[in-house]
Order: sequence, then structure tokens, then C-alpha cells
Amino acid sequence: MYKYDAIDQTLVDQRVAQFRDQVARRLDGSLAEEEFRPLRLQNGLYHQRHAYMLRVAIPYGLFSAKQLRTLALISEKYDRGYGHFTTRQNIQYNWVTLEDTPDILAELAKVEMHAIQTSGNCIRNITSDAFAGVAADEYVDTRPICELLRQWSTLHPEFAHLPRKFKFAVNGAKEDRTVLLCHDVGIELKKNRNINNGELTNELTADIYAGGGMGRTPILGSLIKQDLPWNVLPSYLTALLRVYNRFGRRDNIYKARIKILVKALGPEEFARQVEGEWAHIKNGDDNFTQAEWDRVAKHFTRPAYKTLSALSNEQIIHNSPETEQVAFARWLERNVKPHQVPGYASVILSLKPHGTVAPGDATTAQMLAIADLSDQYSFGELRATHEQNLVLADVEQSKLFELWQEAKKQKVALPNVGLLTDIIACPGGDFCSLANAKSLPIAKAIQERFDDLDYLFDLGDISLNISGCINSCGHHHVGNIGVLGVDKDGEEWYQITLGGEQGNDASIGKVIGPSFYADEIPDVITNVINTYVAQRNGEEPFIETYRRIGVTPFKEAAYKDKNEDAKKKEKEVAGGAA
Amino acid sequence: MSQMNLASHQEILHFPKGGKPTLAPNEWQVWNGDQDKSEDEGGNFTLPDLEHGAHKVLVPFTWWCSQLDSHHAADIISKAKKGQIGVWFATDDDILKHADVIEAGKKVWPLVAAHFPIFRDGRSFSTAALLRNRFAWQGEIRAIGDVLIDQLLQGARVGFDSFALRPDQNLDIALKQFDLYTVTTQNSWRGKRSTCELHVQQYAS
Repeated sequence: MYKYDAIDQTLVDQRVAQFRDQVARRLDGSLAEEEFRPLRLQNGLYHQRHAYMLRVAIPYGLFSAKQLRTLALISEKYDRGYGHFTTRQNIQYNWVTLEDTPDILAELAKVEMHAIQTSGNCIRNITSDAFAGVAADEYVDTRPICELLRQWSTLHPEFAHLPRKFKFAVNGAKEDRTVLLCHDVGIELKKNRNINNGELTNELTADIYAGGGMGRTPILGSLIKQDLPWNVLPSYLTALLRVYNRFGRRDNIYKARIKILVKALGPEEFARQVEGEWAHIKNGDDNFTQAEWDRVAKHFTRPAYKTLSALSNEQIIHNSPETEQVAFARWLERNVKPHQVPGYASVILSLKPHGTVAPGDATTAQMLAIADLSDQYSFGELRATHEQNLVLADVEQSKLFELWQEAKKQKVALPNVGLLTDIIACPGGDFCSLANAKSLPIAKAIQERFDDLDYLFDLGDISLNISGCINSCGHHHVGNIGVLGVDKDGEEWYQITLGGEQGNDASIGKVIGPSFYADEIPDVITNVINTYVAQRNGEEPFIETYRRIGVTPFKEAAYKDKNEDAKKKEKEVAGGAA
Repeated sequence: MSQMNLASHQEILHFPKGGKPTLAPNEWQVWNGDQDKSEDEGGNFTLPDLEHGAHKVLVPFTWWCSQLDSHHAADIISKAKKGQIGVWFATDDDILKHADVIEAGKKVWPLVAAHFPIFRDGRSFSTAALLRNRFAWQGEIRAIGDVLIDQLLQGARVGFDSFALRPDQNLDIALKQFDLYTVTTQNSWRGKRSTCELHVQQYAS
């Protein structure tokens, strides 16, 4: 993985010093809270319901055992013994103090980490495929471009105070695992085969999608540029961000994201304006050079893989003790993904054990143990996924059984990846001061209701995402089943959306109707799931059944209990009157 | 003179490209031109008296544009040439739509400024970048309005070289902002991004 050079290291060290001074000025009162706020946000520091929350970047999801150990130590020393992995490849600490933050950032800087631009109205931590460099379906390893863009966007002066936050995602695989179309800018990398002077060349290019996003107005991004050579990304993105910086709305925070500008202008007109701006700067020296590519890309070479022969799942299972084979096979099916290199596989450690306090949480002890597992089984590297799980990307297939045993001890081996209980959830009203409602008790109640692994396996791929408010940190819009916390007259209610989907066939879920009380949600989900089970054709996944039969049968089922209750009440009232 | 908004800055922080940050007395007053009112509504479109009192004034770019076809044009241009009138850009001035005015203004303006209505509004960063990159403006660009200590670095990098800080800002702390970083990871008006060749040299020395 990428190793900081003196420039990167100097920059994060100096950033810590700068923030230390800003905090001191805040504490002595010379910097007002209103004016300190954007400064702390651009260093990942939020003020939440109970305490400060610090969001630390895991750029494009890649980190090392050494870094995870530091994250664990921070959770022990400065927080309450756990950390929360987010959907944006960050880790959050919920209980830090303002006074400690400069020291935490200094600890992070020692292991080449930071919290720069993990919040605020700036270019945020760049997210990518957690399986970059190893996925069997990959066209392009996105990591060098992600790292180049991380550097380019870090402390970019012109775009330090954009109208609103700005998120990049980069994908280079056949299956999109980044929710590319829900980002302000989605960069789809590919190799273009051309013949130049009689020689076949494989040019790295990008397709650019702009104006996607979730929140109050969920919109999928529009394709605005095709076949952009990789090296001109800085000038093209400068043009794009400049148009947004100048013309994005600043009068209304809810209409300030780039998606509103792209929608108002139309994608064609937006693309035309970006093109117009780009024409003036496309040949400038902002662009990446081959030397920069070489410097960065050399860090993303393959680790020292052994020459192994590929094993089939049957062989792997056959080599395990007979009594364990059924459970092991399930884990292999759900939590192990194919690799580019024969004899290797990628393992997803589930941070969604049933009954968990919060999806995506890991304790200090778990983090330390997982760091050891990555050293032992996966070249000391880890990935954080959009679904809030962790990945050991380079595991020898012959060691999968052994690793499974170890993972079970840490309670990160539940074979529920991609299943109904692999819930994406924000921290919600338990922590976040923006939230209208709690997310975590809902997630827990659903996991308790669907605690039967046989049944979950039978249901197959279903995503259930929960957000505590319309800011949509739990990505409910793209969950097959989405749950959104809403506030009605000071009470917590939950709105259900159906039909959302991430990936290549992304779609935004549709609200099915009036919202529910928290204690109604498990029954509502059960009724929706029963409808799917009754209506599905063979092995058809939930989303396909939904797309085939439409929302109505699900909606009727979801409100069945409510309608029956209402009828009962009507009868009682009628009976009482008679 | 209630329609005038004469800023009360005593000192301006100057940070010329390639130079050091220093403080110097402010010679310029910012006039807002009563932009929100028409003449019929009692708007005051009379420049401050440049013979007595204020000798140098920054006028709104929109006001400058509006005067170019009037009988005052020659007088205003002559005052600009004498170094008495510069323009300031509001955040919603689309400078690219007035490229001809800016190209002509480059020959006469002694100073231009860009306004920050609130510190977290970053539009004037792009204005300064465009003035430097697109229009090759070589003169001074001043940041005016809600200019705070923690915007100085960003402003200096996009193209500002003088700052009328909000009067409550501590100028001693302000002067120390510019050497917080010795490296950068993208080009700016001040210089190219740090390169690994530099890194090798640093390590060798």
C-alpha cells in the first residue's frame, strides 16, 4: 500500500500543528465557535449529542495492521473502547474531547493517517472499491488514481469553502461496489484499447458522472464526460469544481449540493459549462505527470503471492472437519470472495453480529485481534467496505478454515454478508445531533427478529439500510428496504422505502406511505419479507421480485396490521356507540 | 453619507508573491455604491469626494460597468489611471461574462478586490484564481469583507496578495499564518506543488 514520502508526512505534521493552534485559540476564546466550526469540521471533528465525534479517514478504504493498532489504541486511550466504521471508509470515535483532539491527530500522523477533510464543505475522503487490486472482476486497479486524487484534493485552496460537501467515488470493476452514482462525482476508470502508430495501447481513461447524491433529494449522477485521459483529471475536476463553486446555491443549505445545480442546468448544459472552463486549463501543468504516476503506482504492486493452484469450494470444504462443514460452507458462500490470483481469496469479516450495539462497531480488543489476523493471513493489510465490514484481501484458500476459526473467536465470522441482517446504519439519534430518530435500536430489533440463519440464507441477497435522518448517512435510499427516521411533533417515526439498489443497476427506493412507530418496524419488515417469499420465482432475489411485481403487494402487506388495527378500532367505536 | 459603507481598516496585510507578509497603513476605502437601490429610490450614485478626505476608493464592479456608457466615464477612467479608483468584485459578479471590461480595466485599475460576505463563502477564491489564471492580472488583489485569520493561507494561494482583515482579527497571529506549511500537494498561484525530486534533495542535504 501507499507509503508517505517526506512531503506527505510534513503536510500531516504541519496540519496537526495548525489545528493545535486553532484549538488553542478556540479554548482561549479568541476564536468564536461559529468561526471555529468549519475549521474543526475540515479536520473531522463534529459536535454531537453527548460529546465531540472525530471522523478519521481511511483513504479509499485501505489500511495496515499497524494503522489499525493505532486506531485501537486511540479507542482505548481517548474514547470508550470502540470505534465505528462508516459507509464512507472512515472510522468514527464518539466520545473524544476537544482538548485531546490535537494529540489524537498527532498519534494518527505517526502512522500516516489523518482526519483532513472528512467533514465540512470541501472535497471529502475519496472512496473506492474495497476489493481494488484483488477483485476477480476488476478492469483497473483504482488505488493509484485514488491516491493521486487524495494528494491533489488535500488542502486544495480554491475549494476549501464550497457551497456544500463534495464526495468522489472511484470504480474500476465490472460490479460497482462504491455506489458510484450516488456521489457528487463518480469516476469510472477503464482501459481503452487503441492502435497508435501500429501499436496496440491500453490507455487508462475515466468516465465522469456528476450530480449524484442522497439526502433530501436523492438523484443518480449523470454521465457528463467520456474517455477522459487519466492524467488530465486534475484540470477537468478543477473546471468542474470551479463551476460548482461559483454557481452552486448558497442561499439554502438543502439546495446547495452539486446535484441541485446539475438538475437545474440540466446535465448537458452543466457538462458544456465544465467543458468551457476546462478548455482554458486542460493543457496546464496542474495535470498529473508520468513521474507522479510512477512514484505512486509503485506502492500498489502485488504482494509476494505464492504460486498456488486454485481450490474449488468443494475441495476447501472437503479438507475441513466433517462436523464443521455445514457452517463453514455457509461462511465460504457469503463472506469469501473470489481473487485475481489462483489459490487466494478475499475474506469479509462481518461487523454485524446479531444483537450488536451498532452495525460497523469494533471494540479495541477486536481491532487488535483483527490487526494480528491481517498480519498472519493477509500481508498485514486491511480494507474497510461501504457496508461497514472489514476485509482481509489476500488470504490463501488453504488457510480459510483456520482463519474462520480465529474470526469466530472474535465474533466477526457471522456468515451474513449481503443478507438481511448485514444492515447499514448510521449512529442515529443515540449519538448524532442531526438525527430525528434512533437507528441502532431498529437495527437491533430487526436482527433479533431475523436471527435464524437458515431463513436468512433462504432469503438470499437483500440490503436493509437505516438512516436516522434525511441526511442519509445510512444510505437508506439505495437499500432494497430503506428505513428513515422522521420527526413528527417531537416523536420518532420511521418511513419505509422499497426498491432501492446499489451497484451497476442502482436505483432510488420509493416511499411506500405514512410512517410507523419504532415497535411496528419488525412486523412491517416481516410482512414485506413474507410477500417476497410468497411471490418470488425460484431463486429470484428480492430486488428482482420487487421490480417484476411492483410496490403494491408489498405496500398492502406493510400496512396490513395498521389497517386491521384501524378496522378493529372502528368496530369498537361503532360497538360502543350502539 | 449614510449610504456609504466606508471600511474602517487602519492596516492592511500585504503578502506579495515571493515576498514576506507585512502590515502597511490602509489608503483605500471601500464604497458599496448603494447597489441595492435605484436612483429613483434615492440610491446615491455619487462617488466619495476624492479631492478632500478619501483619496482612493474601491468601487463596485457593477457600478463601474454601469458608468462606462455614461458621461462620467472619461472622468472615472482618468481617476483610475491616476491611481484613485479601483474596483471590487461581489461574489455574484460573473467576471467571465464581462471579460471585455476586465481586459480594458487591466490597463487602468491600480487595485482590484474581491469580497467575502461571510468567511465561509468561497466564491471569491475562484474569482481570484480566474483573475490570475484567465486574465493574467498582475496587480494587487485584495480580500475584503469577512476576512479572518484562518482564510489567509487559502487566499494567498489562489491569488490574493493583500488582506483587509476584519477589524477584530489579531494581526500578529495573522502574520504568522503564511509559513505554517512548507509543502503543498497541488499547484497554486504562488508556486508549483512539492515534488519528489525536492524530497530526494531534502533527504540528501
